[in-house]
Amino acid sequence: MQIIENSKVKEKLYIEKLENGLTVMIIPKNNVAKKYIIWATHFGSIDNHFIVPKTGEEVKIPDGVAHFLEHKMFEQRNGTNSLDTLSAIGVDANAYTTNDHTAYLYEATDNFYEALDEFMDYVQNPYFTDENVEKEKGIIGQEIKMYEDYPEWQVYLNAIKCMYKENPVRLDIAGTIESISEITPQVLYNCCDTFYNPANMAMVICGDFVPEEIIKEIKKRIIKNENGGEIKRIYTPLETKINEKEKTVKMDVNNSLFTIGFLDNPNSENIVKKHIAIEILLQMMFGKSSELYRNLYSEGLILNEPQLDYEFTSNYAHVLVTGQSKEPRRVIEEFKKTLDKFIKDGIDEAIFTRTKKKIYGRYVADYNSVSDIARMFLSDYFKGISSFDYLEEYNQVTKEFTQLVLNEVFKEDKMVISIVESKQ
Amino acid sequence: MNCKKINIKEGINLHIINTDKFKTNLLAVFLTTPLNRENVTKNALIPMVLRRGSSKLTNIEEINNKLDEMYGADFNCGVDKTGDNQILKFYMESINNNFLPENENLLEESMRVLLDLVFNPLTENNTFKEEYVDSEKQNLKQIILGKIDNKAKYAYDRCIEEMYKDKPFGLYKYGYVEDLENIDSKNLYEYYKKMISECKIDIFISGEVNEQSKEIIENNENIKSINERQAIYNKKSEKADYVEQERIVEEKMDVSQGKLVLGLEVEKNDKQSKYPALVYNAILGGTPTSKMFQNVREKAHLAYVAGSNYIRHKNNIFIRCGIEIKDYQKTLDLIKVQIEDMRKGDFTEEDIKNAKASIVSTIKSIPEEQDSEMMYYFGQEISEQKMEYSEYEQNIQNVQKQEVVDIANSIKINTIYFLTSNN
Repeated sequence: MQIIENSKVKEKLYIEKLENGLTVMIIPKNNVAKKYIIWATHFGSIDNHFIVPKTGEEVKIPDGVAHFLEHKMFEQRNGTNSLDTLSAIGVDANAYTTNDHTAYLYEATDNFYEALDEFMDYVQNPYFTDENVEKEKGIIGQEIKMYEDYPEWQVYLNAIKCMYKENPVRLDIAGTIESISEITPQVLYNCCDTFYNPANMAMVICGDFVPEEIIKEIKKRIIKNENGGEIKRIYTPLETKINEKEKTVKMDVNNSLFTIGFLDNPNSENIVKKHIAIEILLQMMFGKSSELYRNLYSEGLILNEPQLDYEFTSNYAHVLVTGQSKEPRRVIEEFKKTLDKFIKDGIDEAIFTRTKKKIYGRYVADYNSVSDIARMFLSDYFKGISSFDYLEEYNQVTKEFTQLVLNEVFKEDKMVISIVESKQ
Repeated sequence: MNCKKINIKEGINLHIINTDKFKTNLLAVFLTTPLNRENVTKNALIPMVLRRGSSKLTNIEEINNKLDEMYGADFNCGVDKTGDNQILKFYMESINNNFLPENENLLEESMRVLLDLVFNPLTENNTFKEEYVDSEKQNLKQIILGKIDNKAKYAYDRCIEEMYKDKPFGLYKYGYVEDLENIDSKNLYEYYKKMISECKIDIFISGEVNEQSKEIIENNENIKSINERQAIYNKKSEKADYVEQERIVEEKMDVSQGKLVLGLEVEKNDKQSKYPALVYNAILGGTPTSKMFQNVREKAHLAYVAGSNYIRHKNNIFIRCGIEIKDYQKTLDLIKVQIEDMRKGDFTEEDIKNAKASIVSTIKSIPEEQDSEMMYYFGQEISEQKMEYSEYEQNIQNVQKQEVVDIANSIKINTIYFLTSNN
């Protein structure tokens, strides 16, 4: 077992790759009562075109399959539902689907091992029938409709659609009512066979554990021992030009929302270092202590601190700035001016140092809860990163490097705008 | 006791939660004042004005630069309602000294900045700074009008409003637009001084802290200068009006999905009945094995969200679903069957066991998050009931089926609210 220690947050990471290819990561924390486990497959909404390893067949699947599978995995052959079984013993179980992975998890203060039996059993034993697939269409249909009523989701997805023409990141994770109507048990079984094989999966465990012991318990419950072989994913070509500049929709809301996006190149020598620099830049330009935020706020042009994100996988990367404003277009104009000024005048040393301190505090605070820790290590793992790297690389991020990232990423011709406008 | 309560002055308490589970220290100041129509908007506005500047850090720039220097200490504030009180909440989260690259005492500094922002606001000619009040009035207006932006939350707020018409709990916690024109920097400051001299004050510290923290508070200038008081707040809360026939309220908006909310009144309302009420709620709609989840979602496929929550301070249960507009009557009928089945005692010992397991797990998880642990002890402070986790857990374990059936038979649907589409 490999052990990586981080002296800044005083935590250790134990990593073991099992014979069947499954990666298990353990972050022991002996002073907490909650135990958390998350098990995920590297299969998300963007993986809709691939070659099945067993047959060599090339398949395209309907939008929303990864998410549909997430709902259906709980169903058991004996008619029970694992979500109910876990809930009945007092553990809090859940699952979620992102663009690049699907995760199953539970947290427990008691009955952890009893729950582990059920948990590892259901993730390894799919059971789909025409009837149970059909009934889920109504439930997921309501989930899709719920998102249609969220202005935050609409403004986000439209920004992505502005940036990408073909990349499946532009699809709604849950698919559409039409696309899910095409899903059959066979489609689900095919995807399960392909993507739910141990080599394509990772597990993260956080809580009061002895690493060697919990590994033993995991091994005992592993069913599949063969390595499923490499999955060939067919991705759309890397997009270097934005799809469209702007998208505006009207909704029945009082406060308009805007998202500014920057399409970026996902190929980077050191993605962690770049990510840190982008976080510093976003804070400097538009964070709570930025001049821009201060001015917009005192003029009543922005209601609260904008949300600042950098999202990336191996085949897309983008920056997102999202906020609420009664005059989104003016905010966007002011943001452009700030950006020009930063590029022209260079980064201020004092502000840079101060902002860097703030980022450090945030990275440390990420280690507050077992669920946050486990989820962070998992999603970073699928990006080929160890979460500790952020603390390790932090000191390497200089003002000069950050300036380079600024000039490279925040380009006017890569910028898109999405607005959800108030109907009123 | 996980939480040590120290009386600083009459009406002002310090609560110290010593825990080594976190990388951060969380500090909080809660000001508790009666929820009423006259003051609700002013109370909502006060934290917004205070966060603009203290007499030491006079504007957002100075405040945020300071917070950045403190390794991104996070200052936050807002309002909430607990029972018939409005709570003005102020939080400061900063990195525990053990995890700082250099040896500094962030805890003390965090406390100083927090108390300063709450108790020592920037004033000009004995009023709040006019510019801040004017701009925050505009912001508050946007927040109040923004009530419609989250449709599911809106439907829930509206159901409560209808159920508690003309009663404190029916008030919107952010207040009302029409109040704003009569608020200015002068009368708001006058109100602030009065409120701060009469409200109940609770200060919380959670983290790796010790007795010294008490000294930090006691020696703080703001705390020294503040008066003792017979705190004015509501210890009891008004019930919703009794309705013979349930009220049905329908509202139209541009939505894809209908949002259905049922407000239930639990008429049995003594201290001991809170535990069976919690168990009742878990069986009805609190967990994936509940009647709502199983029958409305899994069997009838009518909804993705189908559940219920229990508000202890008001003794109400709210059932919430997001459904196809056309399925309104079908869903409502099905929900009523669930409520009726509960009355008939149509649930098993197994259901009770599952419900208890879920509640106990929630109790055990409280100290795993700093804010939830604070809210647990603060809730007890307001309801004047001291109880450790183990006793709470025992009270849940002791609940008998008959008690849950008794609760079920004391439940009445008060209001049915449906947010539907324009078409």
